[in-house]
Amino acid sequence: MEYAIECLDLHKSFGVHKIHKGIDLKIVKGAITYIIGPSGTGKSVLLKQLCGLMPPTKGKVIVNGQDITVMKPEELVQMRKKFGILFQNAALFDSMNVYENVAFPLVEHTKLPKSKIDKIVQEKLRLVGLRNIEDKMPSELSGGMRKRVGLARAIALEPDIMLYDEPTTGLDPIMCDVVDNLINDTQKELGITSIVISHDIESTLKIADYIAMLYDGKVVLYGTSEDFKTTDNPYVKQFFSASKEGPIKIM
Amino acid sequence: MERVLSFFGRPLVSFVEVAGQMALLFYSTIKLMFKKPFRTKLLLKQIEFIGANSLSVIILTGSFTGMVFAFQSYIGFHKFGADQLVGTVVALAMARELGPVLSAIMVAARAGSAITAEIGTMKVTEQVDALNAMAVDPVHYLFVPRILAGLIVMPMLNAITVLCGVVGGYLVSIKVLGINKTLYLDYMYTYIEFDDFANGMMKSLVFGGIVTLVGCYKGFMTRGGAEGVGRATTESVVMACVLILIFDYILTAFMF
Ligand SMILES: Nc1ncnc2c1ncn2[C@@H]1O[C@H](COP(=O)(O)OP(=O)(O)OP(=O)(O)O)[C@@H](O)[C@H]1O
Ligand SMILES: [Mg+2]
Repeated sequence: MEYAIECLDLHKSFGVHKIHKGIDLKIVKGAITYIIGPSGTGKSVLLKQLCGLMPPTKGKVIVNGQDITVMKPEELVQMRKKFGILFQNAALFDSMNVYENVAFPLVEHTKLPKSKIDKIVQEKLRLVGLRNIEDKMPSELSGGMRKRVGLARAIALEPDIMLYDEPTTGLDPIMCDVVDNLINDTQKELGITSIVISHDIESTLKIADYIAMLYDGKVVLYGTSEDFKTTDNPYVKQFFSASKEGPIKIM
Repeated sequence: MERVLSFFGRPLVSFVEVAGQMALLFYSTIKLMFKKPFRTKLLLKQIEFIGANSLSVIILTGSFTGMVFAFQSYIGFHKFGADQLVGTVVALAMARELGPVLSAIMVAARAGSAITAEIGTMKVTEQVDALNAMAVDPVHYLFVPRILAGLIVMPMLNAITVLCGVVGGYLVSIKVLGINKTLYLDYMYTYIEFDDFANGMMKSLVFGGIVTLVGCYKGFMTRGGAEGVGRATTESVVMACVLILIFDYILTAFMF
């Protein structure tokens, strides 16, 4: 099997606070991998290490065969052109309107004429279920709308690897389904590698090719949806049944 | 002993660290200034923001300083019967010292703080990460237009400050203090050289770099949410003002 990203014995601490204590995770190329786990276990931090936005304290991250933890800043910038990233809070540029936000990667990295960029922006906004909001500023949007604009911006360049940090959190059920389908369809059509952080167990089991569950700085289980449905791993069982009883401690 | 060492050592280490980081960032900014794409639109926006929007403050500061300075120096010179020298002193002080320093401090308070607040907010809301994620170097995108604008605009603002100061001093001396107009101008033309003005322009070029670099640096290093942005903004103004005064001394000693 071919891997898009490999984490080898990844450690991350902030001061004395240990977040990751040796994560080994291989992301299969062209598949959808979901990362689940309780709030605060370091899912977002892991995502930032996968694309070189945050250096790990120890360990390796290998993207398409290259160790990104030893790359020079210029090489990292080039490497990141392969990624599309949706941040947990969308991270829209608040000095730009919606159109300029979605067009930003296209203006920066392509030489497309304005008319072509206009078309792509409209197309991507339509994909995430937004219309006629090009002139609005991010501060005028609802949380769910911001997230979807962030999603449109992340897929604008049609990257090789998509990272989604909680793409459906804060969306209504219909929009959740639209975004789930979008993740599924972009992957099926373009054959890109997708990594999705999610708290939505139902859609995780429906869409994921592979799932990794994170707890206490380690991967407690990695496998397919079937594996997760049938496992008797106590962490997974507790997490799926949303129960207070079990090995996962509530702080 | 250990406590004494750490009492003096810690600030020293953090001073060296900050100075090093700033020097490195300044170096990469200078290098990136010559790297495509040239973001003309962003540069013009910053020139407008740092320069055009500071005009009213600069005009007020310059005029009033010149006016006050005329009064104050008149008190001294009148005792020796050298009233006509007031103009020379006002122009000299404005061109060499007060123009560059006061305009830089005003810009630090107005634009430097705003630069820190803007970049700091971008930092804590992950917009800087987003730039990185889209393979755009934040130093190229955020630092270059602002620092370049500072270098271009600050000397111009200095020229305006000096001009306003000299005019203000002239009006007070002639209209209020009744100094002889011909003598006043004669002495000023005789004793003021172009060098005095060029000297001040050099200073304000350096100050323009300091104010914008500190603004960008403090914003870029911001952590800890809205509170962090507030703290960084205050620190940015204080640090810029202190550096302006220190570099003013160094430059004066050099160009004496
Ligand atoms: N820049 C940082 N500096 C210090 N600590 C950090 C930083 N970023 C994250 N942390 C800490 O790392 C831990 C993991 O954070 P992270 O955001 O990855 O959690 P998460 O799994 O994404 O949670 P959620 O599901 O709520 O989004 C938290 O305890 C957080 O306080
Ligand atoms: Mg998170």
